[in-house]
Amino acid sequence: MEARRVVVDPMTRIEGHLRFETRMEDGIVVDSKCSGDMYRGIEKALIGYDARTAQQITQRVCGVCPYAHADAAARALESAMGLQINENGRLLRNLTVGAYHLYDYLLHFYALCALDFIDVTAITSYQGRDAGMLQLKDWIGQELNSGKVFPASPFLPRYQAAYSDDRELNLTVIQNYLGALPMMSTLHKMVAIFGAKAPHPVAIEAGGVTTMPTIERLARYRQWLGQAGQFIRNNFQNDVLGVAKAFPGYFKEGRGYGNLLSYPWLIDRNGKDHSFTGGATINGQYAALDIGKITEDHTYAYYTAKPDKTIKPLQLNNLHPLGYEEYLSEKKKEGGKYTWTRAPRYGNEIMEVGPVARVVNTYFAKSNPALTQRVDKYNNALGLTIHDYNSVMGRHLSRLVSALVTLEKLEEQLEQVVPEESGFIERSLPRNASGVGLTEATRGALAHWIETDDKGLIKNYEMIVPTTWNMSPRDASGRPGAVEKMLIGTRVADADNPMELARIIRSTDPCMACSVH
Amino acid sequence: MNRREALKTIWLAIVAAGASSFLSFEDLLAADANPDKRINLVWLHASSCSGCSCSFLNIEDVSVLDILTKFANLIFHPDLSLATGDQVTEILDKVSASGMPYLFVLEGGIPTAMPHACLMADQPITYWVEKLGSKAIASVGIGTCAVFGGVTNMKGMETGSIPLDAFYARKGITQAVINLPNCPLKPEHLVYTLLHYAYKGSFPSTDSKGRPLKFFDRTVHEHCIFYADFQEKHYARYIGDAGCLLKLGCQGPLTRNDCLIIGHNGNTNICIRAGHPCIGCASEHFPRRVMFHIASDPQGVSEDS
Repeated sequence: MEARRVVVDPMTRIEGHLRFETRMEDGIVVDSKCSGDMYRGIEKALIGYDARTAQQITQRVCGVCPYAHADAAARALESAMGLQINENGRLLRNLTVGAYHLYDYLLHFYALCALDFIDVTAITSYQGRDAGMLQLKDWIGQELNSGKVFPASPFLPRYQAAYSDDRELNLTVIQNYLGALPMMSTLHKMVAIFGAKAPHPVAIEAGGVTTMPTIERLARYRQWLGQAGQFIRNNFQNDVLGVAKAFPGYFKEGRGYGNLLSYPWLIDRNGKDHSFTGGATINGQYAALDIGKITEDHTYAYYTAKPDKTIKPLQLNNLHPLGYEEYLSEKKKEGGKYTWTRAPRYGNEIMEVGPVARVVNTYFAKSNPALTQRVDKYNNALGLTIHDYNSVMGRHLSRLVSALVTLEKLEEQLEQVVPEESGFIERSLPRNASGVGLTEATRGALAHWIETDDKGLIKNYEMIVPTTWNMSPRDASGRPGAVEKMLIGTRVADADNPMELARIIRSTDPCMACSVH
Repeated sequence: MNRREALKTIWLAIVAAGASSFLSFEDLLAADANPDKRINLVWLHASSCSGCSCSFLNIEDVSVLDILTKFANLIFHPDLSLATGDQVTEILDKVSASGMPYLFVLEGGIPTAMPHACLMADQPITYWVEKLGSKAIASVGIGTCAVFGGVTNMKGMETGSIPLDAFYARKGITQAVINLPNCPLKPEHLVYTLLHYAYKGSFPSTDSKGRPLKFFDRTVHEHCIFYADFQEKHYARYIGDAGCLLKLGCQGPLTRNDCLIIGHNGNTNICIRAGHPCIGCASEHFPRRVMFHIASDPQGVSEDS
């Protein structure tokens, strides 16, 4: 039996600093470890800050999903205030955060993942008249003949792997890769209309959204939403389905535990129902959400040990990172700590969060007929069942479903905004209060917990974010985390070019800066 | 579209980016005929959130494709490069050993008190910044974290994060550093700076903190749409009220930036136009312990200052 250790570090085209390590026997992964390699300590640094500051600071945990942190922080503070925001506030927040979701799906699919499946060198056979494609073709041609040390960077070097050999698919996706960049910029502009800017929209505050929805702003949003809708319904949908059809085996690869957690997201105007119902599916059984079941363990994370391994949110008001010496000694230990990412658990279960959880939980809850119909349609067309969503391609497909459901909701809610009426209610800071804010980032369930002191300053703050769930290390019980589990059992054709593993990791859309914060 | 026509559209974009003062259409034609004129870039993330990278992709005046194919060789970028794992370390080792001229772009703060708080390829980021920074012809610190520390060294942090120029000073690295604060970076600032370097061989002129005067010579306050309200002491008392936002915690008077000229996201909006006081995200005081609504903020700006 041939055993081999494979380390990929740094993992690129994700957010942040990720290292992963696997042990293979006869080309099959038998063990894996994922390490989040950056620690900042924002959560506990917030103690003593004005509670309203949390919204602006916590969104800077991540430049890819700042909108979700802004939303969760504002909701946590609203929950501490006992404040219900008004209809316009809800709608404007959805329009801002929703546009950001659409941006994020395009970023993830095109910029981060597509070129793991699509052969970028196919551009050399391009025969059409698109100016951008011709520019890319000429450039790649020149670069490959230039004798330069780094020709055609950043597209080369890359893993040698079985990329798509479908010329049409390759060329279409490359063309849409180029087209997605200006479309992402348009979606960021939609965020900026009500959020003031993107990344890091400032205008989502506890109380609603500070921007007045003028007729002119609504009209601009409508125009850009139209363009984004066209791109998502045509180019994005066709490309995701094209890649899914070209790589059907990836509906079997990268299977995790299949335990799925999601929070309610995309609220309706009246504040009653959500497009995506929260909940937890464990062993195939869906149940309503109970956030009291959430705990965190850091047996394998680089923090000083605590006697209680399963700590509830806000139970810790300090988290001591290991000093350099302790850290170095841990690294040398066999079976020691190996990541800054902690291990959140839901009723002691290891959960996957993200688009699959959002889609599957909503599907099982039977709460959104539009979503159910869309999932059934894709399942019929691709010969899938809902259980195949626990896979690499299931994650990409779920992003498409999420994008289309979100798009429709934004189109509907844009027309419900009452022009020239404020979407913001002001309240003073809550003293000696606590609250929790739940939302979904594109990459999954996000929660912020806040506790304030007698001056309204932050007494404690806790974030449990999507990638912390997915990139969780082992806990005291020793079971691998969600993504670690997905890698195990994978057959890798060439250990020097472990593309199969890269595809699995990227399908979960890691956001490492969020995961550790 | 033939090549000359394609270049004309790029030329219009350059005019829009404000770079026509140092780059003529003839320069552009010459650059197109001579691909070696393209500037080499190596981009790293230290303790960062990737927000500056995402913001960079929003550039509208010049397309990302034009930047990649006509103005720059993006040798490495953590979010765009297809290279991963060992391929990355091979590129970075090769580039630092090659003697080739390149600009080093850094996003994020540098944790020096806890070197293990930011690693790449099992090495502290300090190793990579020193290795690549010391061999670069010049460096660009992008975003408030790389320039002033920003969120990565807010009060209460333990990692001892410091900005790029402070790190160079500590390591005795003496090359030029230009600073482009903003949380996140404004893509126009970077593209202008890169074009300037590519065609003039130097950075645009800067203030004492290394920031281009073109963008940072005035405060947000000096160009504010509510400046007349401020002069007449007409202040907003709550969000949605008319008037100057100073009493709601606006940081415009302390923040040097061109927000009120070029706005955000292709001038789609500005924080102040969105009814929100400036949070000073490009300033050396960012982030403050109190940012909104509390008049007694010791770091804030009083009506009389």
